[in-house]
Amino acid sequence: MAKARKIPKIIEKPSSFCPGCGHGIAIRLIAECLEELGQDENIIFGIGVGCSSLLGGVLETDRLHCLHGRASAVCTGMKRVSPENIVISYQGDGDAYSIGLSETTNAAYRNENITVITVNNTNFGMTGGQMSSTTLQGQKTTTSPNGRDCSITGSPIKFPELVAQQFNVAYVARGSVTSPAKINKLKGYIKNALEAQINGEGYSVVEILSPCPTNWGMTPLQAFEKIDNEIVKEFPIGEFKKREGK
Amino acid sequence: MAEMIKGNHAISEAAIRYGARLYAGYPITPSTEIMEYLSWRMPEVGGTFVQAESELAGINMVIGGAACGVRSFTASSGPGISLKQEGITQLYDEELAAVIINVVRYGNGIGTLYTAQCDYLRETRGGGNGDYRAIVLCPESIQEAVELVGLAFDLADKYRTVAVLMTEGALGQMMEPCTLPDFIETKRAPWGFDGKYSYKKVGIFDRDSMKEAVLMNEKHNAIKANEQRWEDENLEDADYVFVAFGLPGRSTKGAVKKLQEEGNKVGFIRPITAWPFPEEAFKKINPNVKGLITVEANATGQLVEDVALTVKKVLRADIPVYSLPYVYGIPAMKTIKADYKKIVDGEIKEVF
Amino acid sequence: MNEIVFAGFGGQGVLTSGLIISSIAVSKGLNATWIPSYGSAMRGGTANCTVKFGKEMIYNPAQEEPNLLLAMNTPSFNKFIDIIAPGGTVVINTDMVSTEANTRDDITIVEVPCNSIANEMNHPKGANIVMSGVIIKLLNEFTEEEAIDGMNEMFNKKGKGKFQEMNTKAMKIGFDFVK
Repeated sequence: MAKARKIPKIIEKPSSFCPGCGHGIAIRLIAECLEELGQDENIIFGIGVGCSSLLGGVLETDRLHCLHGRASAVCTGMKRVSPENIVISYQGDGDAYSIGLSETTNAAYRNENITVITVNNTNFGMTGGQMSSTTLQGQKTTTSPNGRDCSITGSPIKFPELVAQQFNVAYVARGSVTSPAKINKLKGYIKNALEAQINGEGYSVVEILSPCPTNWGMTPLQAFEKIDNEIVKEFPIGEFKKREGK
Repeated sequence: MAEMIKGNHAISEAAIRYGARLYAGYPITPSTEIMEYLSWRMPEVGGTFVQAESELAGINMVIGGAACGVRSFTASSGPGISLKQEGITQLYDEELAAVIINVVRYGNGIGTLYTAQCDYLRETRGGGNGDYRAIVLCPESIQEAVELVGLAFDLADKYRTVAVLMTEGALGQMMEPCTLPDFIETKRAPWGFDGKYSYKKVGIFDRDSMKEAVLMNEKHNAIKANEQRWEDENLEDADYVFVAFGLPGRSTKGAVKKLQEEGNKVGFIRPITAWPFPEEAFKKINPNVKGLITVEANATGQLVEDVALTVKKVLRADIPVYSLPYVYGIPAMKTIKADYKKIVDGEIKEVF
Repeated sequence: MNEIVFAGFGGQGVLTSGLIISSIAVSKGLNATWIPSYGSAMRGGTANCTVKFGKEMIYNPAQEEPNLLLAMNTPSFNKFIDIIAPGGTVVINTDMVSTEANTRDDITIVEVPCNSIANEMNHPKGANIVMSGVIIKLLNEFTEEEAIDGMNEMFNKKGKGKFQEMNTKAMKIGFDFVK
C-alpha cells in the first residue's frame, strides 16, 4: 500500500528547479535521511555554484554558498572546527569535478570526515548547458555543438571510481533518480554515507545521476530514458567502496 | 624580560594567544615559518592546522572555520595572496570575521623574495572582485606586529570583516626582543554555524544588493571614523612631512630625527592602519607646509596616491606631494636624508 | 650603536653567531635586531645576517654601514669589504679567507684560524663560537661572563644546551685569542 511521505521539517519551501530535474529528489532524500538519522538539527551544508546553489533556497539549515568548486575545502574547515556537526558538501559535476577537482580530490585524499554529494547531469546546467568533465562522447552541448570529441577534450571523469580505487576513504557510491526503486536505493547510499560520517569512519561521496531535460533538449521522460539507456553505461550505479566500520 | 624572537614566529604565537583556532595555508617564502610553527603549536592548544593543497583551498578552509565562528586565519605572500583574493572577498561578503597575514614580497607575477611594500594599493582597495575594503594594519616592529595581530582579530570580530596584517618579508624573517601577550579565553562568535540554524543567514539568491550597499557604506564609515591609527611627530611645525609605514616607516623616523638634529623642520606620519587611512593625522599638519614626502618600498609609488587624496580632502590646498619609491628592501636612513635634500633643492619633482 | 655583519657559507654557523651576539645584548637590557639574508639558496650558498644593538632605538634593522664584519669565507670578505665603516674591523677566518682583493687601508683586519682552533679542541662545529668570543672581546661591551651566560641561555631556550661545556670553552678561547 502506498503511503504518503512526510515532508522533512528542514524543507522550507518548494524548489525552483526545472521540471524533470533530479536536484529536487536529491535534496529531498538528503533531508529525509538527516531527519531519520536525527541529524536535521545538527547539519551544516557547503553549497556549490551552479544549479546545486538552489539547495540554499529549499532547506532551512546552516548553509554557506561556497565559491565555485571550493565546497570541499570549506567543508573541511567547518568539520575540523565543529566535528560534532554533520557537514555535507552539495555540488554539481562542473563545480566538483572541473573547477573544483583539486579541492574535491584533496578532501578525499585526506579522508576528511565529510559527506560529498555530487549531482552529475553531464553538463554545466546553470549557465545553459556547456560541456563538463562528465559530458559523454558525442554529446552535444553549447560548447561542443558537434558532439563531444573525447580525443581532444579528455574522456568523462569517474570520480567515485577514482576515489574508491586510489584513496583510503570510508564510502563511495553512485545512484540514480530514474525510478522509485533506484530512488530508494539511492536513499540507502546517502544514509550509508551520512552514517559513515556520524561514526567518524571518514570521507564519503555519493554521485547522483540526474536528468537535465532543459539543457539536453528533451522531455523529462526522454531524459530519464537517456540516463537508463546511455549514461549508466558510462557511469554505472552501485557501491564502489562499502563501509568497513571505523 | 623580552626575548629575541623571529617575526613570523611571534605573529604565530600571538595569534594562538589571541584565540585563533584554525590555520590553513600553503608554503611560500617569506611567510612559511608561520605555518611551520603552527603545524605543531595549533594541535598543542586543541586547534586546527591544515596544510592545504593550494592557496585557494587554504583560504576556503578559513571560510569554513570562520563560518562556524572560530577565529581563523591564514598567511601567504606575493602570488599566494593573489590566489586568496576570491576567498577574501567571499569572507567580506558573508560578513565572516577572519585575519589574513600578508608577508609582502616584491614583484609582479611570480615576483621575488625581497622584502617590499608593493601590495599597498591592492590591500587597501579590497583586492578581490567587488567594492569592499578590508582593514589593513601595518607593523614597524615585531612587538607592534604582535599587538596588531590581536587588534586584527578584535576588529574583524567587531565589524564582522576581514582584517589584513600587511607585514613585510624582512619583518617576518628578522628577530628582535618582544613580549608576548597573555592568553585570552577562546570563544566562538555568536553568529557562527552550530548546525541548528540558530543564526539565520541570508542565502545568496535572496540578496538585496541595494540594501546591502547602504549597510556596507555604513560599516566602512564606522571603521573610518573609529579605527584610524598612526604615529606622528612634529607636524605642526614642519616644512616637510614624511609619510611612511612598516619598516621603511621605521627607517624614516630615524632619518627625520637626524634631519631635525641637523636643523631641518621635518615631521612624520607613520600610518598603522593603511585602511582606514589616517586622515585625522593630516589635520595637525602646518598649513604652510612646503611638501609631503612618501617613502615606499615599491617601484611606482602607491602610498603617495592616498597622501595626495588626503591633502586635497583635509588640507584643501595645492601642496606638492613627493614620492621616494625605493622598489624593495628597507631604505637606509642616509639614503632618505640624501633624497630629502634633492627634494628641497628641486632635483626631485612632486608627483601630485 | 653597533652594526655587525656575519657572513659565510651556509653551514658555517654565521646566523647562529649573530644570534649569540644579539641575545647577549638583549640579556643585558639593550635593544637588538637580527636580520638574515633569506631566499632560494637554502643550502650550500652564502649566508649572512646583520645584527644591530645599542641603548638607543634601532630605526633601521637592515645593513647600512657595519662597523664590524665577520667573514668566514672569501666571497663574504669580497662582498662586504666595501661597505665597512671607515675605522671598522673585519674578523676573518684565515683557514678559508684570502684578502687578496682588499683595497681598504682604513680598517683593521683581525686574523683568526678558527677552523684549526675548533678542530684542535675537538669541537669542529664550534668555529663560529670561537669567532663569537673574538667579536665579544673586540666589541668591549660585555664581560666574558655576561657573554657566556647569554650564549648558554640562548642555546638552552632552543633546547640545544647539550654542547654547553664545549661551547663555553670555544667562546673562552676566542675571547682570549684577542690580546
